[in-house]
Amino acid sequence: MSGHATIVTPTPEGFRPHAVAHHFKTAEQEFQAGKLGFWLFLATEIMLFGGLFAAYFLYHGVYAETFRVGGSTLNWHLGAFNTVLLLTSSWTMAMAVRASQLSNRKALIGFLSLTWLCAAGFMVVKYFEYTYKFSHGIGPGYFFAPEGHYAELFAGLPFPNLYFALYFTMTGIHGLHVLVGMGLIAWLIVRSSKGHFHSGFYTPVELVGLYWHVVDLIWIFLFPLLYLVP
Amino acid sequence: MTTHTPAIETAPSATRKEPSYLDVTKGFWSWAGTLDHKRIGIMYLVGVTAAFLCGGLLALLIRLHLWTPEGMLFENGVYNQVFTLHGVFMVFLFIIPAIPASIGNFVLPLMLGAPDVALPRLNLASFYLWLVGSILTVYSIITGAVDTGWTFYTPYSIETQTSVLSMGLAIFVLGFSSIFTGLNFIVTIHKMRARGQGWFKMPLFCWAIYATSVLQVLATPVLGVTVLLLAFEHIYNIGIFDPAYGGDPILFQHFFWFYSHPAVYIMILPAMGVISEVVSVHSRKPLFGYKLIAFSSISIAVISFLVWGHHMYTSGQSEFVMMAFSFLTMLVAIPTAIKVFSWVATIWGGSVALSAPMLYAISFIIIFTIGGLTGVFLGALSVDIHLHDTYFVVAHFHAVMMGSTALAFFAGIHHWWPKMFGVMYDERLAKISAVLILIGFNVTFLPQFKMGSLGMPRRYATYVEQFQIYHQVSTVGAMILGVGFALMLGYLLHSLVAGRRARANEWGGVTLDWHTPTPPNLYNFDDEPVMAGKLYDYTELDISPTGEATFKAHKSTATVGSKA
Amino acid sequence: MSKPSHESHESHQSPDTHGHGAAVVDHTHHPHVCAWQTFVGIYAALLFLTFVTVGVAEPVSGLHLGSMSMVVAMLVAALKASLVMTVFMHLKWDTAINNIAFLGSLIFLSLLFLFTLVDHSTRGEADPQAGTPAPYARQAKFVDD
Ligand SMILES: [Cu+2]
Repeated sequence: MSGHATIVTPTPEGFRPHAVAHHFKTAEQEFQAGKLGFWLFLATEIMLFGGLFAAYFLYHGVYAETFRVGGSTLNWHLGAFNTVLLLTSSWTMAMAVRASQLSNRKALIGFLSLTWLCAAGFMVVKYFEYTYKFSHGIGPGYFFAPEGHYAELFAGLPFPNLYFALYFTMTGIHGLHVLVGMGLIAWLIVRSSKGHFHSGFYTPVELVGLYWHVVDLIWIFLFPLLYLVP
Repeated sequence: MTTHTPAIETAPSATRKEPSYLDVTKGFWSWAGTLDHKRIGIMYLVGVTAAFLCGGLLALLIRLHLWTPEGMLFENGVYNQVFTLHGVFMVFLFIIPAIPASIGNFVLPLMLGAPDVALPRLNLASFYLWLVGSILTVYSIITGAVDTGWTFYTPYSIETQTSVLSMGLAIFVLGFSSIFTGLNFIVTIHKMRARGQGWFKMPLFCWAIYATSVLQVLATPVLGVTVLLLAFEHIYNIGIFDPAYGGDPILFQHFFWFYSHPAVYIMILPAMGVISEVVSVHSRKPLFGYKLIAFSSISIAVISFLVWGHHMYTSGQSEFVMMAFSFLTMLVAIPTAIKVFSWVATIWGGSVALSAPMLYAISFIIIFTIGGLTGVFLGALSVDIHLHDTYFVVAHFHAVMMGSTALAFFAGIHHWWPKMFGVMYDERLAKISAVLILIGFNVTFLPQFKMGSLGMPRRYATYVEQFQIYHQVSTVGAMILGVGFALMLGYLLHSLVAGRRARANEWGGVTLDWHTPTPPNLYNFDDEPVMAGKLYDYTELDISPTGEATFKAHKSTATVGSKA
Repeated sequence: MSKPSHESHESHQSPDTHGHGAAVVDHTHHPHVCAWQTFVGIYAALLFLTFVTVGVAEPVSGLHLGSMSMVVAMLVAALKASLVMTVFMHLKWDTAINNIAFLGSLIFLSLLFLFTLVDHSTRGEADPQAGTPAPYARQAKFVDD
């Protein structure tokens, strides 16, 4: 089974041809294998965050009042703004994948850059939220020593530290995923500008796109649960 | 690392078209950077064997310590560390990757007629993650070890001053190694099967690996987030599992067993797959109830997500939930028993060769039946209240993990050894070690069932005098096991330098893995195989008077060399 | 696009094409391209649903939905998520196995939720005299009283 001729995918003018890896018989087989693998990886992401959500629901049930007060200390305007940012980035990402399918290099780079900017905006807002909380003695676990009006607000409530433990853990791990996503999108922008992605080969754009939508999906649930505590 | 090729000449024979995967490139880096699933499988084999030896050595020390009621070797605290490390080595470094990542990696693409797994780079990454996890484990030992047991129950695992943090990190990394292996195999089975190989023309080993992989992908992330939260507890008292901060320690157990019960099937399902292949080949009979075995693998995988609470009957969870868990646990017995009956029915009336792999497989069936039945005792809510955390539990899960999974691993190693290295070990010695291990296992663990039911608790460094005789018999059994394994290691290594050259089809197997040259080419097959005939059709073999098996021309399962 | 690849060998290359160097163009992969109007429509719907999420929340609107507020919030979030999954992530046009791979995780996740949450809501109920609720629960009740 050696000595196969190199298989390449159809390449429009001005783009780099993509050679199918030797152990695949067809380009479609390679594309579908990569994609199924990535969907399975995304399933593991769902399970990983799922554990945190289970913990949230459990303690929300036990300490309902604490969670309500804890949520009221977050600025829901900022949360909503970040939600709009991520939804926008999801849309631009979908458009970026479409641009790569149509071999439209300019649109691809443009939409990827917009996605990256939305992600960066999200992280900037998150940064200000975090630093504000930390400066008032609100941190996870060990760092939870509320000062000033926070101390009054939480007086008599059972375990306000738990709400913030979950807030920082969930948004922290989510934020880490945003940062990883920004790195991946930057990598896509570089490769796009070299003409690596076109109608015959756009797998990396497709997969990073899927990853980015999952980051958005998780935030869609985090926003109401943490900022608006139903 | 067994980077050397056998001393016995494996130079291309007259019929060999290409050099074997062992000969095609040479040197350290040709292994360290390889994307070949067979070499990655061999590297895993070396790694998990090393982990098994470390874990086994610790087991011998534990047994030696328990020779006298007051304990012979260790301080109580050190004893806690020793049994924890034994558990971590055996569970996370050995059993979980053992069959899928070593044998599975080597054999699965061969059985599917594929040149490699679907994602070769991910495969290598998985191996290096395993290596990093192992190094972190060793690092944890050097920096103070861990004394919590391999289950890391909170709140003790938060309070202890030992290296839970780095051990948690090790398990997180090992978890992702396991996820990547499973993910890769699912994609490989879906996308890389040979032409003409429908789902029901896959050997049963592939079905077992598929079910295992589903568990690895879906359950392991929950372990990941659990040890992550445990690490946060250690770094800054996050409180989610700590009652002092309002957290619920039972939630830790839920999370832990949501992974660790399916993990038991991550261990046993591939073992069942190996046994299915070995039993069929060495009885020279198609498997009885092929579809039943295939579907029972899948149903075991699904049910395994519904029963984790049977580890928590004395933890203080809700009684209603416990009843549900107890009932659901009983359901596991159905698909499991189907498999045992199918194997026995396959052997029945077959032309059984009592070869070394078959002896291991028969030992597996015997011990697995013991382990499975005692599992039913422990799954029953009321009985478990009595037996919980006693040596009965210890003996039960060793029957499943060591007596079944490890034995199936060795059955597989003996079965595919000639395919892997092109050499044969001394079969007479192999049979002796198989018998020693079967005897050793039962001498070790039958007394443990007994003393467990009499109330001997697990994980104690000392015990009351009336249990001494059981402990001493058990220790003697462990020594017999030790001799058996040492002998095995000896003749297997010896075969690499001085074993006779293996026959092209050593046992007379008919699945696609036996259609490759021995050892296989870099990309496995001389020509792309096409699955034209039936699965497990032993009528396609010609057996010479000397026992040499060859495929009848034009009638083989795989139309090898066909130009579609 | 929706067919498993190993069953569709449409490539212009045959397995006996030996010899190196020659490149064969393979047209087996056909991307599914969505209309941009579809994406814009979904984007608008997502923004509208975010507005709904905020609008029905008690801290913002003062609506008292009680225990229903969680149900409403999660239903709206689930609707948003399903829009992202079906259209932005192309699941609607994707293979069955990719759908199963992703959505299957939700089924198994629901098992984790089911048993842990039912355990919590029924702990100590079977025998209230002997039942020992977890320490943290006792403390919480003490404070609430
Ligand atoms: Cu279990």
